[in-house]
Amino acid sequence: MAQAKITRKDALLYGGAAAGGFVVGGAAVTAVAVAVENEKAPVAGAPIVARYVDGDLPETDPGSDAWGDAQPTLVALAAQQIAQPFLEETLVTELDVRALHNGSSVALLLEWDDDSVDDLDGIRRYHDAVAVQLPTAPGAAPVLTMGAPGIPVHILQWRATWQRDIDSGGKTGVDQIYPEVIHDVMPDDVLPPRTAQLYWVAREAGNPLAQVRRTTPVEEVVAEGFGSVTHLPKQTASGHGVNEDGRWRVVVAVPSARTGVGAPLEPGSSWPAAFAVWLGSEENRGGRKHIANWQTLVLEAKA
Amino acid sequence: MAKVRNWQLGRDMEYPYVADRPAKQFTMIMDTNKCIACQSCTIACKSTWTWGKGQEFMLWNNIETKPYGFYPTGWDVNVLELLGEQEWDGDDVYTGQTVFEAAPAGERVLGWAPAEEDWSHPNIGEDEPTGSADETTYIPDKPHSLMWMYYLQRICNHCTYPACVAACPREAIYKRPEDGIVLVDQTRCRGYQECLTACPYKKTMFNLETRVSEKCIGCYPKLEQGLQTQCTTACIGRLRLTNYLSAPDEVDPRKPADFLVHVRMIALPLYPQLGLEPNVYYIPPVHVPTKYLTQMFGPGVERAVEMYRNAKDDPELLGLLMLFGSTERIWHTWDVSDGVARAYDEDGEEVVAVPLREPTFTRPFEFATEVAGEPVTGFRHNT
Repeated sequence: MAQAKITRKDALLYGGAAAGGFVVGGAAVTAVAVAVENEKAPVAGAPIVARYVDGDLPETDPGSDAWGDAQPTLVALAAQQIAQPFLEETLVTELDVRALHNGSSVALLLEWDDDSVDDLDGIRRYHDAVAVQLPTAPGAAPVLTMGAPGIPVHILQWRATWQRDIDSGGKTGVDQIYPEVIHDVMPDDVLPPRTAQLYWVAREAGNPLAQVRRTTPVEEVVAEGFGSVTHLPKQTASGHGVNEDGRWRVVVAVPSARTGVGAPLEPGSSWPAAFAVWLGSEENRGGRKHIANWQTLVLEAKA
Repeated sequence: MAKVRNWQLGRDMEYPYVADRPAKQFTMIMDTNKCIACQSCTIACKSTWTWGKGQEFMLWNNIETKPYGFYPTGWDVNVLELLGEQEWDGDDVYTGQTVFEAAPAGERVLGWAPAEEDWSHPNIGEDEPTGSADETTYIPDKPHSLMWMYYLQRICNHCTYPACVAACPREAIYKRPEDGIVLVDQTRCRGYQECLTACPYKKTMFNLETRVSEKCIGCYPKLEQGLQTQCTTACIGRLRLTNYLSAPDEVDPRKPADFLVHVRMIALPLYPQLGLEPNVYYIPPVHVPTKYLTQMFGPGVERAVEMYRNAKDDPELLGLLMLFGSTERIWHTWDVSDGVARAYDEDGEEVVAVPLREPTFTRPFEFATEVAGEPVTGFRHNT
């Protein structure tokens, strides 16, 4: 199979086109996902139809039976080669996406193959992640450049590090990266906590990336172009990710209202949706990621 | 890519952003000949800025033995290898490629990313001279062996055209307009580590607890109070000068850094061919082969070495060098008269005065006395 990649030319050519599952970058999808028992086989290029659920969504349960009712769509991934720095090589070509909604929230289940769990950040050590991109305003899909000045997009990113922050109660630092580490005297050994905290400058400065005590593994941001990701002051997204048998299954959920962010995700409406996947073991981070072109997310009308 | 003027290369070059020189540029001058690698600077820096958890391996300042010392391992030879052999046209114009011009497709800078173990051996190659093991550093015969080594003092170069700034996709690294210090915005960095790959000097580092990049801050809280950096004031060899460099078209020979860099040209940039216009300047070691020094400090090495060797006959230069390490305060002009060098602040007030030649005293033999009832002949050193 030819090397799949999405270039700036592709982004500009196809980005403004009506959303709707063409295969990106000219790369043919040759692999077909194997249907799991009681599971629907993913369909390439089909709209992602969010089934309406009367009741709670499995917002933090990627293993919930409720997902069995949703039809997975196979989304083709390719190396990001629109903006520098590029991802050189495509190492995951498929993302399976399915969705549910209940009128007040929308949840997506995102699945991709990755037999290396990367959930700690260190020197040249990066984490696995997945992101969903939605326009803030209804209409045609914007160009595939994470928005543009005056045309913001709404992005929900799940990170394996954040999941581990939550699962481990914030034990995701030096002691976990190097379990045999022996420390000399550290600020938190000898100083009052409030003073010791000052030595973690980014954390003290309020950088959301630098925190380890958190309540959601999904960061909610807006962007108006590459490099402009801005953490929203009010974080409303939720989710949960697990890696079993070499495959990440990650739920990302967001309230439909999108208060202060964009137009609500109303039942019966249809939205362009794009995706990105990062393989930590392959030094994916930032713009060095796998991306998908705009797909169509259809929110089923209430029954 | 924009065209910017790099005076160290004698030509314009490609850079992702347009030139925007600061009002004045933080600089440090290092006299490599005076360093004994005591690491007082390293410890002063470490104990001031990087003793937090997650910064264990971080040395914003380090001293390494050249040619075999590196922190991180191989930092300079790796980028030289990547760049390949390049040429200068005489002493004036660099005709080779910079790390920006040689960037591969999809990258803004030609770079490489150190592995975690590369940060784990800050003293690798310490005190190792060139030459083989069957030679010895005790050389009774003359001429001496051709073996050599020297110490290189390293902080962030607070470059005019920083590769870390060029590579950061989020514009989270910036150069302060007031003094040219390069800082990582700790609220904006998202830990992509692109700066670690791009900086050829490897002076941005990743904090393992906060998951973002950090780097030498030029001790800006001290600078803002008119004080020299911690590494400068802790240096027992008095080999450092923290000061400000004027823009190349605004050189003022009364200012110490301008005098050393632009007038006497005795202080040279580190690997200028990489194209970052680094703002730490080195008086090269006088005992090292010119070929090696030229690779490290660019053309002009022979002139600088010659200048340094003649400094004893050059009171203006000698006085300036004597003022290194003589005060914690940043001084702006100096003069030499009656065998005394004096430094002045911006208002022309004297900051410190240093004699060019320290007075010497000969201790008389009568200092000899008895120890435990026995007469001691000779000088006592321990009372």
